[in-house]
Amino acid sequence: MAKRSVWSDNRFWQRTAAWITGFASVLLIWLTFDTSAQISMGTDADIQNGVTKRVPAPTVINYKVTYEFNKKRQHEIPVIGGMNAEGTSAFQEKEKFFGRDDWSEAEAAELLRLGKLGSQAKNCMNCHTLLGNGAYYAPDLTKAWLDPAWGPNGSMQAMTGKSTKEEAMAEFLQHPSQYPTHARMMPNLGITAEEAKGLVAFLKHMASIDSNGFPRNFGKMQGAVNGK
Amino acid sequence: MNAMFEPFTDVVPSFFGTLAQGPLTLTIFLHTVIVLPMIWIYKQEKARLEQEGN
Repeated sequence: MAKRSVWSDNRFWQRTAAWITGFASVLLIWLTFDTSAQISMGTDADIQNGVTKRVPAPTVINYKVTYEFNKKRQHEIPVIGGMNAEGTSAFQEKEKFFGRDDWSEAEAAELLRLGKLGSQAKNCMNCHTLLGNGAYYAPDLTKAWLDPAWGPNGSMQAMTGKSTKEEAMAEFLQHPSQYPTHARMMPNLGITAEEAKGLVAFLKHMASIDSNGFPRNFGKMQGAVNGK
Repeated sequence: MNAMFEPFTDVVPSFFGTLAQGPLTLTIFLHTVIVLPMIWIYKQEKARLEQEGN
C-alpha cells in the first residue's frame, strides 16, 4: 500500500485548525481586556499626579492642550498643561475654559456628557469624523480643538469676533450659516448656547486623547485647515 | 538611519504594544506561534501514521 502523506491526513488539519482557532480566541479575548484598560478614562487624580492616560479625565478642559511632535514616537501627541523634559504632558499650565480653570471633576464630566449627547442628537458624524468614526463630508473633528484656525490669530476666531477659542467655536456652532467659509457650509442645527458649551468641551477633551497620531499629518499641515 | 531594534515607543507598556512596533513584528509573532506547533503536530501525526502502518 502507498504511504499516506501527513498533508492529506484529516487529523493533522483538524489539530492545526483547533490550535489556530483556540490560540486566536485566547489572544483576541486578552486583546479585548487589554484595550478596555488602555481606553478607560483617567481621573482628576491622574492629572494631579502627572499620570499620562490615553483618555484623560474630563478636568483636562482646565488645562492648556497643544499638539507636539514626539521624536520617540515619530508623530504628534497631545500635550496637556505644557511640555516636560521628556516631551510629554507636564500637567502644569492651566487655561481658562469659558472663563474658568477650576471646573470640578463632576462639573467637567457633566459638561462633557452634555456635549457627547449633543453630538449624537445633532448627528455630527453624519458629516464629520470623530475618532475615526463618521464621514469625510466635513472636516475631521478629532483634533479640531488644536486647529490653529480657531486660535488667537486664526481665521475662524477672527471671523466670529470672539477673543477665545472656546467662545469662537461655541459661537460658530450656534450660528454656522452666519460664518461661511470657502468650504461646504455647515447647516444651522439649532444648537443652544449651553449645548454649544458642552460640544466645545467634548471637542477639547477629544483633542486631548492620545490617538497614536491619528489623524495622520494633522500637526504638519500649515494652518491645519479643515483638519485634513 | 534607523536601528534594527528600536526602543519601545507605546504610551503604556503592553504585550500588544510589542506586537505593533513595526511592520514585521506581528507577522513574525503569528508565524512563529502558528508554524512551530504545526511542525510539532506534523511530526506526531507522521509517527502515528507510520505506527498504523500506512
